[in-house]
Amino acid sequence: MGKVKIKKTSTIIDMTAMSDVTVLLLTFFMLTSTFLQKEPVQVITPPATSDAPVPDQKFVQVLVSPEGKVYLNLTGAKDSTLLSNEFFRTEVLKSAYDEYKKSHPSAPDLTVSQTKEFSKIGTFGVPMKDLTKWLDMRLDQRDEFLKEKGGIPIQMSVKDGARNEFQIWLNAIKTVLYNKDPELFSNLIGGDGIGIKAGQDSPFSLVDVVMDNMKTEEINNLVLMTSLKIEEEGK
Amino acid sequence: MAKKDKSRQKKFDTRIDFTPMVDMNMLLITFFMLCTTMLKSQTLNLILPTNKNEDKEQDIKIQQSNAISFILDGTVDKNGKAINSKIYYYAGDGTEEGAALTEINFGNGKDAVRGMLQDRNKALLKEVNELKEKWKKGEIADSTFNKKVKEAQKKQSEDLTAKRPIVMIKPTANACYADVVRLLDEMQINYVTSFMLQPLNKQDSTLYEQKLGHALGAK
Repeated sequence: MGKVKIKKTSTIIDMTAMSDVTVLLLTFFMLTSTFLQKEPVQVITPPATSDAPVPDQKFVQVLVSPEGKVYLNLTGAKDSTLLSNEFFRTEVLKSAYDEYKKSHPSAPDLTVSQTKEFSKIGTFGVPMKDLTKWLDMRLDQRDEFLKEKGGIPIQMSVKDGARNEFQIWLNAIKTVLYNKDPELFSNLIGGDGIGIKAGQDSPFSLVDVVMDNMKTEEINNLVLMTSLKIEEEGK
Repeated sequence: MAKKDKSRQKKFDTRIDFTPMVDMNMLLITFFMLCTTMLKSQTLNLILPTNKNEDKEQDIKIQQSNAISFILDGTVDKNGKAINSKIYYYAGDGTEEGAALTEINFGNGKDAVRGMLQDRNKALLKEVNELKEKWKKGEIADSTFNKKVKEAQKKQSEDLTAKRPIVMIKPTANACYADVVRLLDEMQINYVTSFMLQPLNKQDSTLYEQKLGHALGAK
């Protein structure tokens, strides 16, 4: 009886083709990707047929969580050093905190390192009284705090003339833009500089209060963030 | 020199094992896939009416025959989500005899929001459609199309006798945000030139109570 002969075949597979494919895919993802913004809450924006893109610079985003908490995200200009992210945020923080201190003289001063920390943060939104504490926290604690106790106080004040904290921030943004970059200021007033992002299931009252605050600060022109819906009919 | 070297050259196997390269690429791809958002957000433009009192008095008197008001309503469930969305509308300013809310929904039918708006905006839509035909045939460019539409809209809004819808969108506190956006979107789709987002006034509340049998916000 002859032994069953097992044919020895090479187990090495040529990976060159595979490598080609993966490199192609990688290139595709690298070119098309826009990184997910780190946000304290994920919201699904309502669908609409409008296809105007969200500006990726010189933009103020108001994020409204399903619980009605409000966060802000400031983006400066990408190209110029005139109003970079860091500079924009620092100036807004200084201006807003100064205004807050006028009515709360006992509030602690901002330190340089706190201001610097703030300039690196994308989405923020804590009550002013917690702001210095929040900026001193570790990164993970900060995210936790944003989720649990965050949200800029937004209730319309009954007392005439007194700004609530959200209005203080809006006013600070307006002031900074007006003083530092008039072109950006007209951009903001013209409606391309500020947007509301809210979940599609949210009751309108959550968005309404944000709009009311904006109206009070004379920002009447804004955009709503939507996700693209394809209409059957075409253009 | 070069020739000498060549003659002495040994033959090496030029094959390189690509497996680690593939491994690394796969990892990178996974990373990019998880970190990216393919869905880019879009935006919808909106102009809010001012809430300064002195300006309110200068409110433009609109032609009542063209006015149409949408009231968006719903309920909020225990998770804080807006559900049961309902849309009502009435024509005119709601003060005349027999004014009442009619329920309406989104959709493509004749008696849905779009059909109704199209019916009321016939004149302009006819113009737009003609332009659209031209655009489809490639006779006019994208930018010209947009410019011409804007011109037509401007002309229409300046013509005080034109029959056109002037839409008031009045969401209650419980209305679903997505519906508000959808209605605003319908304005763009149907080339409605004049629309505004407003709170409900006294007249709206009265009509609402008549229709639903309970006051606004009460359940």
